[in-house]
Amino acid sequence: MATNTESVDLVGDEAATNLARAALFAALVGAFAYVSFPNPLSAGVPITLQVLGVFLAGIMLGPVWGSLSMVLYLAAGAVGAPVFSGGTAGLSYLIASPTLGFLWSYPFAAAVIGLVAHRGTSLSDVDAVPTPVLVGAMVVGTAIIYGFGTVGFAVIQYDPWYASLWQAFVVSSLAFVPVEAVKIAAAVGIVKNDAIAAA
Amino acid sequence: MIGYVPGSTVAHRLDPRAKLAVQVAFAAAAFAYTTPRGLAVLSVLALAVTRLASLSLASVARSFRVFFPFLVAAPLVATVQISPPAIDPEAAVYPALSSYRVLLVVAVSAAYVRTTTVRESRAAIQRTVPGRPGVFLGVGVSLVFRFLPLIRREITAVREASAARLGTERPLIDRIERVAVAGATRTLRRADRLSTALSARCFAWNPTLPRLSLTRMDVPALALAGALLAATLFRAV
Repeated sequence: MATNTESVDLVGDEAATNLARAALFAALVGAFAYVSFPNPLSAGVPITLQVLGVFLAGIMLGPVWGSLSMVLYLAAGAVGAPVFSGGTAGLSYLIASPTLGFLWSYPFAAAVIGLVAHRGTSLSDVDAVPTPVLVGAMVVGTAIIYGFGTVGFAVIQYDPWYASLWQAFVVSSLAFVPVEAVKIAAAVGIVKNDAIAAA
Repeated sequence: MIGYVPGSTVAHRLDPRAKLAVQVAFAAAAFAYTTPRGLAVLSVLALAVTRLASLSLASVARSFRVFFPFLVAAPLVATVQISPPAIDPEAAVYPALSSYRVLLVVAVSAAYVRTTTVRESRAAIQRTVPGRPGVFLGVGVSLVFRFLPLIRREITAVREASAARLGTERPLIDRIERVAVAGATRTLRRADRLSTALSARCFAWNPTLPRLSLTRMDVPALALAGALLAATLFRAV
């Protein structure tokens, strides 16, 4: 072990709580990657809950810690925690995979969702946020996720990328976008749930 | 699923930072040389890396199977021209090479995942990213590793209990809500218990990390990373 001779610099209680919440929420998003439901719109594309996890991170942890939680999710996946789609892990998913745009969008989406839902960087009472604001925040978040995802897919797969954006959208996003409405509806129900308000 | 497996291969004994450098350099070279010849050379290299980590290509391919539909569809869709309507097989060449390139980079990074412990990765992160951001990333990453199996098990238990009570017959949104509410409430409660426990145990910004030192063994790995980056830069100018 390396020897450290400086005095102990304790982490404050608030920072410790936020760090624990961010890390465990990152693990929750990773666990959501394994939860799949049959898709009523197209049988071949199962519904997984990762994106729902991103929505909830922005709404429940706020823009700052929600976004940092997603950064932890990416970092943990990059060094080997099996948290990406299908239980995959590795730095390659962040630097070379065609789905890298989706992953990189998570911190930004969580931040924007948090900013819109809480109208600023400080955390307000989620229960008091009107439903249209919540839905609007998540629609913007979805647009960010699929925007990044489509551009990322085009950059990795096509040359020149800007000439093939529609192909990238068809392959990477088209089948998944409609299902996001279901997740947004579920997220509103979750946020307004009494058990969540008590937690 | 690819995960850490204890062992004493060459790849296990390398410094995690050297292994990270090889991955980044390999990906950069693969992007610079997305040509049949370039990818052939890199295939040999990727094969050598997976051998050094005693990792089978079949297990890499299995772990990656959810992405295969995208890798196959991307070149196919590229052949379709809208105006005038036509099929252009030539247009599939670059996307197909790109798809193959992804497999190579995934194989190299799977070698890292298989041969590096969480402790080593955490130390590598904290020694690379200075100050509190590094501690945040390092601690956070090891907590994700620790709690992922617990949270997964809880969610599976919730789903099984729900299925036993005919929960599978309920509307889709309702099912998603049940799983997510149970998952999120338990996660938040667990996080609060964890932070109390961390504070009680002198959770500090400057904990003692395992020793990491670049040794003579890391020289070839760093040289490889340097060579790949030099080749990438050579291509760029």
